[in-house]
Amino acid sequence: MAGAVLGSSAVASSENIFYDHSARTRFRVGFDRWIGRLLPLLFAVALFPIIDLVYFITVRAAPVLSLGNLTNTQPYANLSGDAVGIAIVGTFYVMVIATGFAVLLGIFGGIATAEFLSERAAGWVRMSANMLAGTPSVVVGYFGYFAFVIYFGWGYSLIAGSLTLAFFMTPYTFRTADLAFSSIPRGIREAALGSGARAYQYIVKVATPIAFPQILTGIFLAMAIGVGETAPIVLTTHTSLLLPNSLTSGVWFLTYTIYTGYNQPPGSNGLAQAFQAAFLIMVVVIALNIVVRIVAARYQKRLEGLYQ
Amino acid sequence: MADLAPGPAEGQEPLPPPAESSPASPPTENRPSLGRRVLQYTTWIPALVPAAIVLAIIWQLLVASGFSLVPFRGPTDFGWEFFGSTWQPHASPARWGILVFVVGSFLTAVPALVFSMVIGLGIAMASTTYLPRFVSRFLDPFVDLLAGIPSVVYGIWAYLAIAPYFGTVLNPWIYSHFSIVPGFGGPPPLAIGIGLPISIFILTLMALPITTLLIRDALRSVPKDLWESGLALGATRWETLRRVAIPHSSRGILSAAFLGFGRAFSETIALALLLGVVTSYPANFYQETATLATVMLQNLDAAYGNTQWLAALSEMALVLLAVSLLVNVLGRRLVSTFVAYDVAGL
Repeated sequence: MAGAVLGSSAVASSENIFYDHSARTRFRVGFDRWIGRLLPLLFAVALFPIIDLVYFITVRAAPVLSLGNLTNTQPYANLSGDAVGIAIVGTFYVMVIATGFAVLLGIFGGIATAEFLSERAAGWVRMSANMLAGTPSVVVGYFGYFAFVIYFGWGYSLIAGSLTLAFFMTPYTFRTADLAFSSIPRGIREAALGSGARAYQYIVKVATPIAFPQILTGIFLAMAIGVGETAPIVLTTHTSLLLPNSLTSGVWFLTYTIYTGYNQPPGSNGLAQAFQAAFLIMVVVIALNIVVRIVAARYQKRLEGLYQ
Repeated sequence: MADLAPGPAEGQEPLPPPAESSPASPPTENRPSLGRRVLQYTTWIPALVPAAIVLAIIWQLLVASGFSLVPFRGPTDFGWEFFGSTWQPHASPARWGILVFVVGSFLTAVPALVFSMVIGLGIAMASTTYLPRFVSRFLDPFVDLLAGIPSVVYGIWAYLAIAPYFGTVLNPWIYSHFSIVPGFGGPPPLAIGIGLPISIFILTLMALPITTLLIRDALRSVPKDLWESGLALGATRWETLRRVAIPHSSRGILSAAFLGFGRAFSETIALALLLGVVTSYPANFYQETATLATVMLQNLDAAYGNTQWLAALSEMALVLLAVSLLVNVLGRRLVSTFVAYDVAGL
């Protein structure tokens, strides 16, 4: 490179003598500049679909979306009309049970790997959680079908769908809880234990308050993933025209509505229900993602403060 | 992680397995307190749950398949025909060859992976190298948001908003210009637009956030010293990327390919909406076909009560599970970071 610079300075140029004017370097610099202008255009590939998707779903859902439709739990309006009240209540039930399981298993499992298990055992547990997260949703659904619907004899039911969904959500709550407890500064742990705190006192009074925001992001993330899952739900639940009154009664999940309604003729009630369901799920998922982002950013700042 | 309590002596196993601390033995100095043991066991058991679920899934599928894959005999024995290409559940005798669906899965996942890797690499390079920090900070979340959109919402959007465009504009255009190319001629594309092209399109979109995020992470983790020495030696940003940053982050990029492939290969609902219900090889690029996941989803109701059919579906589930677990474990072994998974929901 130095030779090139000297060479160009030998040519009498009105510009900076240290600048290499050879054709090759002009090409290199120009190429870099144009790549720098063209590559950002690829963002359009990601931006266009997401904007079009949000716009399309919103525009199609807007004419049929009303408070009356969302709160109407009359069987007739949900079967033959365009109300989605039963599906909303059903989704709420399923999500409460599934999130409950996923949170309990995830947080306790995270505490175990971060605080109690040996490095080796924790590695195995983490790998098993990654494997569960990598299991295709339709395979989890098959497991739910064979185990809960058939073997336990619960049929297509609230509890079968909730447990299947819980299995699907557990790795996410687990991994964030594990990460949250693992990333607590060593000094804080040593200070607590050194001043005589017992293990549970450290976990309950010191570690959990610090790790809480990140655990919360894990819970929100798992909920965002669970509420949008369709395959496990389609395989383990069945639409029901009554609100679930027991664990083994049928339940109507919002994504199920989309799965059955997407190819209905235009203007039909099935399609109207599908668009309302898609809109609701989209809003919930985007909102949860934004909350996760905000909490995660704040938590990062707080954690950096702790390290000082 | 380090052991919490100051209890056990140096070198001792930090966590004595339950058998060692039997209640019959007299309490010693080093024995953990009751509360600590309760805490340990209440957290141990949940920690074992993910592994238990994975094993239970495998066991349950093996049972449902009548163990016919293991010894290649039994009431639901498929033998080598299982890897054939004839799938005729209603014929007598029924034929259970899953090769069509394996091919279908690869036909959709591989092109989608290639597209999403190329685009993801471009976006990641733009975001880490060429765009000002405040611009990429604004744009990156949109890419990440692609990962959060549920696949069924992708499905209904693609089916109603994008498929008509594929069916009336894009597919006929490709058909009229490239019909000499093998696989692109033959029967004309359907106007409804569902089939391979839109499936590849939607899988590209679904794998894109994963590949972008992991490549971005890998490029960000290139040490600043390396960057600056590249630039200081007179290399342009592009040359520094090509010769320094990308070789340095090749593991991360490879893991992006693995995990993106895992996502595309196991995608179910969106493809069930967009790929049709045909269970044969596509005659050409525009036709409908099926993947392992879509057939599993669409056939379970019909298979009720038919042991052989259920067994065939369970074995397809095992094949799908084996491929996804392999790809996921390989992909995760290459990178140790947790950061990306939080947002991408991997």
